[in-house]
Amino acid sequence: MPAQRFTGPLERVTAYCWRIPRSYKPGMRVDGLIFADEQLLAHIRDDQAPEQVANVAFLPGIQHASLAMPDIHWGYGFCIGGVCATDPAEGGVISPGGVGYDINCGVRLVRSDLSQEEVQPHLARLVEELFRTIPAGVGRGGTHRFSSQELRRLMARGVAFLKDRGLATEGDLDHTEARGCLAGAEPDSVSPRALERGSDQCGTLGAGNHFLEVQVVDAVFDEAAAQALGLWPGQVCLMIHSGSRGLGYQVCDDALRQLRHTPAKYGIQLPDRQLVCAPVDSQEGRGYLGAMAAAANFAWCNRQLLMWQARECFARVFGTPWEALKMNLVYDVAHNIAKFEEHTLGGARRRLWVHRKGATRAFPPHHPETPALYQAIGQPVLIPGDMGRASWVLVGQSGSMEQTFGTACHGAGRRLSRTAAAREAQGRRIDQELAARGIVARAHSWKGLAEEQPAAYKDVDVVVEVVHQAHLARKVARMRPIGVIKG
Amino acid sequence: MYEVLEHTADIGLRIRADDLGSLLADAARGLFSLIVANLDDVRPLESQRIQLRGAADEYLLFDWLAELLFLFETRRMLFSEFAVQVTDQGIDAVCRGEPLDDQRHRLDHEVKAITYHGLTLVAGRDGWMAEVILDI
Repeated sequence: MPAQRFTGPLERVTAYCWRIPRSYKPGMRVDGLIFADEQLLAHIRDDQAPEQVANVAFLPGIQHASLAMPDIHWGYGFCIGGVCATDPAEGGVISPGGVGYDINCGVRLVRSDLSQEEVQPHLARLVEELFRTIPAGVGRGGTHRFSSQELRRLMARGVAFLKDRGLATEGDLDHTEARGCLAGAEPDSVSPRALERGSDQCGTLGAGNHFLEVQVVDAVFDEAAAQALGLWPGQVCLMIHSGSRGLGYQVCDDALRQLRHTPAKYGIQLPDRQLVCAPVDSQEGRGYLGAMAAAANFAWCNRQLLMWQARECFARVFGTPWEALKMNLVYDVAHNIAKFEEHTLGGARRRLWVHRKGATRAFPPHHPETPALYQAIGQPVLIPGDMGRASWVLVGQSGSMEQTFGTACHGAGRRLSRTAAAREAQGRRIDQELAARGIVARAHSWKGLAEEQPAAYKDVDVVVEVVHQAHLARKVARMRPIGVIKG
Repeated sequence: MYEVLEHTADIGLRIRADDLGSLLADAARGLFSLIVANLDDVRPLESQRIQLRGAADEYLLFDWLAELLFLFETRRMLFSEFAVQVTDQGIDAVCRGEPLDDQRHRLDHEVKAITYHGLTLVAGRDGWMAEVILDI
């Protein structure tokens, strides 16, 4: 289990793409391709993440290559930053580990018409109000409680269910990936245990790397795209990172348990049990996909309720309704999900199951699934960095369709293990260090803050530059945190 | 005994014990030590019996930890003492602890799940050893 260095082959394809050839391990069906520059590659070799890229290449029906984004790091089964597309017509499988425990973990960005100058005098109060209001941290339940029956309807309809309860607007739906509802959800496939874990967790942030940040648009790199997204320098925005909470974790856990012996049943050889999978066109595969879509819809509702509570905090602090503060959703993207999408391979149109495990969809301009309002610029790609430096807004580019099944990175990627980060933080006050940089940070756990300190992460600017240079997504704006809420 | 292992995104545990029952008890302590910073302040006021069926393999370890995590998430129960009896059918365990009290318990990590990646349970001449990675 220790973090052994990867000593296998990493052949240069371009300055931003490196290949693990199929010949590396018997059983690999395709090459592995890692998007990174030389500087990032040196770190990437430090643990078993490239080995995990090679392992994913074992999955039946995998197309083109087992892919990894520049924020790649060691996960369990799939690496974080992994992308894998399988074709059901070729016996392709669905692997719950390729989505992860936190089904539809994702990010949303909310803009405002407030400038940093207007917010700064109230910043401490605003962060305190958010910290007091937004349920966060280990074992904290939410203020919104749903009966099992309501939870099932919420999972079937996604954010539209909340709109009927007055907790979402039509604009919110328009600016959420898939309008906040993945088709094919089967709430009846979600176990009572998962429902029990999720009953009081919709509208809660959680812990770990989840956060809510008040950010300022620090720099704009593409004026036209920024204008279309309603972003301008000095503007205050809100970024939310969370997922499907205990409900999603339990859906994944249930699926992995049900699939323990499925690979043997279908004669599938796997190098890691966490990669267990089932053919898409099997009872086991269909069962997981129905439950996964239900959990994904729960996650969109979770981020919607988090945003709703945060909007109300802004309204209280500034004494103005959130609508008047123009706190409109810019976009919401999933970065742990499997979606059935159309892609071109060797000149032919194919319908594939694209697993994105810590990777963000990055569809280009004029793609039918890019939201109508953003057709001219491409789908927004939201990349949180770390709590001390920056986060980014990009838009998808056509290079993503050609190289990565329409995908870009999802964050900075960890540089230090949690234990190493906590060790480095011994005797330090991370919140005071951030305060010295003008960032008001509040967390429920010292260790949470220590493990998530900026130094634990790669430099997001470097990661984003790779995505930009490889033509997967184009830089639009850089955001700087001024207020941080952690679990 | 247990030790915390380095893992880039998550946290691992390595557990060593003379017998399987002790190993499962130590693994449970390891799990709760990651959830709550001051595990020694969790008083053994309430008890909960857990019976699991299964062969004495790594899946039994997995199911045991997953059950404890479920009880914490849904009943807010923190456990600090474990008596685990290994039977022919699986395990029969009694866990002692108390409900989470925000005033006295300092929480450290949200453990999302137990994972199968690198999941190991082996019996050797020097006793039992297990490794497990927890998703944080």
